[in-house]
Amino acid sequence: MLEVKNASKVYGEGDTKVVALNNVSLQVNKGDFIAVMGPSGSGKSTLLNVIGGLDRLSGGEVVLDGKRIDNLDENALVEIRRGKIAYVFQQYHLLSSLTAIENVFLPLLFCGANRESLDKAMGILKVVGLENRAKHKPSQLSGGEQQRVAIARAIVNNPSLILADEPTGNMDQETGAEILSLFDQLNTQGRSIIMVTHSPEVAKHAREIIFLKDGQIVDRVEQKGRI
Amino acid sequence: MKLYHLVLKDILRRKKRVLYAALGIVIAAMTVVGILTIATAGQAKIYSQLEKYGANLNVVPAISNVDMRLGDLSMGALMVGENYIPEAKLPEIRQIADGEIRKALGIKDDVDIATIAPKLYVNTKVKGTSLLVVGVEPKEERKIKTWWKIQEGKYLEERDQALLGAQTAQLLKLNIGDKISFNGSDATVTGILEETGSSDDYQIFVPMQTLQTAFNKEGVVSSVDIRALCNACPVEIIADSINQNITGVRALAVKQVAETEMGMMDKMNKFMLALAGITLVIGAFGVVNTMMTSVHERIKDIGIMRAVGASRRQIIKAFIYEAVIIGIVGGIFGYLAGTLVAYGVGPLVFEGTAINYVPQYLPLSLLLAIFVAVVSTAYPAFRATTVKVSDSFRSL
Ligand SMILES: Nc1ncnc2c1ncn2[C@@H]1O[C@H](COP(=O)(O)OP(=O)(O)OP(=O)(O)O)[C@@H](O)[C@H]1O
Ligand SMILES: [Mg+2]
Repeated sequence: MLEVKNASKVYGEGDTKVVALNNVSLQVNKGDFIAVMGPSGSGKSTLLNVIGGLDRLSGGEVVLDGKRIDNLDENALVEIRRGKIAYVFQQYHLLSSLTAIENVFLPLLFCGANRESLDKAMGILKVVGLENRAKHKPSQLSGGEQQRVAIARAIVNNPSLILADEPTGNMDQETGAEILSLFDQLNTQGRSIIMVTHSPEVAKHAREIIFLKDGQIVDRVEQKGRI
Repeated sequence: MKLYHLVLKDILRRKKRVLYAALGIVIAAMTVVGILTIATAGQAKIYSQLEKYGANLNVVPAISNVDMRLGDLSMGALMVGENYIPEAKLPEIRQIADGEIRKALGIKDDVDIATIAPKLYVNTKVKGTSLLVVGVEPKEERKIKTWWKIQEGKYLEERDQALLGAQTAQLLKLNIGDKISFNGSDATVTGILEETGSSDDYQIFVPMQTLQTAFNKEGVVSSVDIRALCNACPVEIIADSINQNITGVRALAVKQVAETEMGMMDKMNKFMLALAGITLVIGAFGVVNTMMTSVHERIKDIGIMRAVGASRRQIIKAFIYEAVIIGIVGGIFGYLAGTLVAYGVGPLVFEGTAINYVPQYLPLSLLLAIFVAVVSTAYPAFRATTVKVSDSFRSL
């Protein structure tokens, strides 16, 4: 469903020039789970950003369901973010002025909420096990709870692809495992996932692990007997 | 929940920041409202001062002048004969004056508008001194000479009373209750005027009928003063119309006075508007500054909203909602503060002027405040949405 062809990304010019991605190609099928690993600064976040249109490519293509999306204008990208691709970030990126339920409701608000939308948001909050925290602000939630709110927000518009940048990076192992099982659950429902992680334990959940170094793919590992 | 709910929630959470942003608007609106309120009071004051100029129009008998010339040298004009205006012409004069004012101001009802004050001048001897006795219609005269103050006694009320100019009273050593006589008729001194600095100080005023009877001048007057003091009153048109339609009289617009009135008012208005305009521009810069900071602080939030599907338009709309709310708050408080400032400062600017709050400046203040807030928010908000989402996450 998603194909990245010869993607490259260069920041700055001259002395400050940084090649963050260098000729990266990969393929994501429906229901796929891909983990991206590599040392700090190797281009993992950059890869996710260019796939989802949060940043622009310097070269190459991103093709989603047969259509190039790397060259779309802002309005077309908005359509993609409203239902095809969603993000989960290491720092959660919740709006601190809104309660958990309102944060989950936000994507529905932007694509035209109706009367049932609030119930829908509540239903999704139940899925991540936070129905009793609906009225809490992010500052009143633990890291794991905040990340579950962020996941609920990501899936409320029913995206086919979820891009997760170190979603368990800020958590202890136990909390991380809870979050991870949520991703597994989403994956079994048929959603594709690309997840950046530093943890080999986490990566074991993926079908394929891609190793990046200095913006290049240096290794790919297929995991047949994944967890 | 709608977009504006989101905005309201955000505003309520950041009360301090929002109040700070509104403060700039409050100051701008306050200054503009303050200046305008003081200017309005100043205008009222100038109007009331201008009223002291009295008549706007002067109607005199059409007398034949004989130019006295010696070659090219003018020796002035010699008035021929004693001339009067028949009282019968007063209603016609009123009709023309009121008619033209109604036309100019678009007034429909037909109450009397202009003040029409006829006068009869007689030069005679009182207590052996030759002076001018003036027959007046007491009520009308009072309306024209708003600056008259009674020093002693009271104003003319009935026949055979006399009101003395300050100097007359002194020179003739007359007091309230004294009797004076002219041409065989008697009148009692009922009042003495304060000094006016004009020829009124040397005259005696008696009711019209008293003087007419005393000198057998029933049914005639010497001149008529017409006062139609308002910005748009067409004094020259009234004068032309009287000259064309009424024979035997000559109407003169007291043009110079009228023009200075308008000129003063006009200059003052322009000055005040310029001052208000400059303040608004300076205030707007301050507002742009706070709004830019306020938008910049939320670059990350903007990035989050865009990452979960907000369009640029929605983000800009949210900021404009916020600006409108800030504008409403700023406009209301700016109006209140500006009015208070006017009450405090106004009397110092125009000594002793009574300041009145002007309700019409509330909508003006609101409109200005909302306009400034929206304009100064729209651009930074638009700029903020052009930042790449990935960069906006880096900004904090
Ligand atoms: N906006 C930018 N401007 C300049 N350089 C950038 C920018 N974004 C990323 N880089 C550079 O690109 C390289 C890749 O960055 P990226 O964030 O993708 O690394 P990463 O693999 O996600 O690292 P980490 O594990 O620390 O998150 C780094 O050298 C970084 O300094
Ligand atoms: Mg990263």
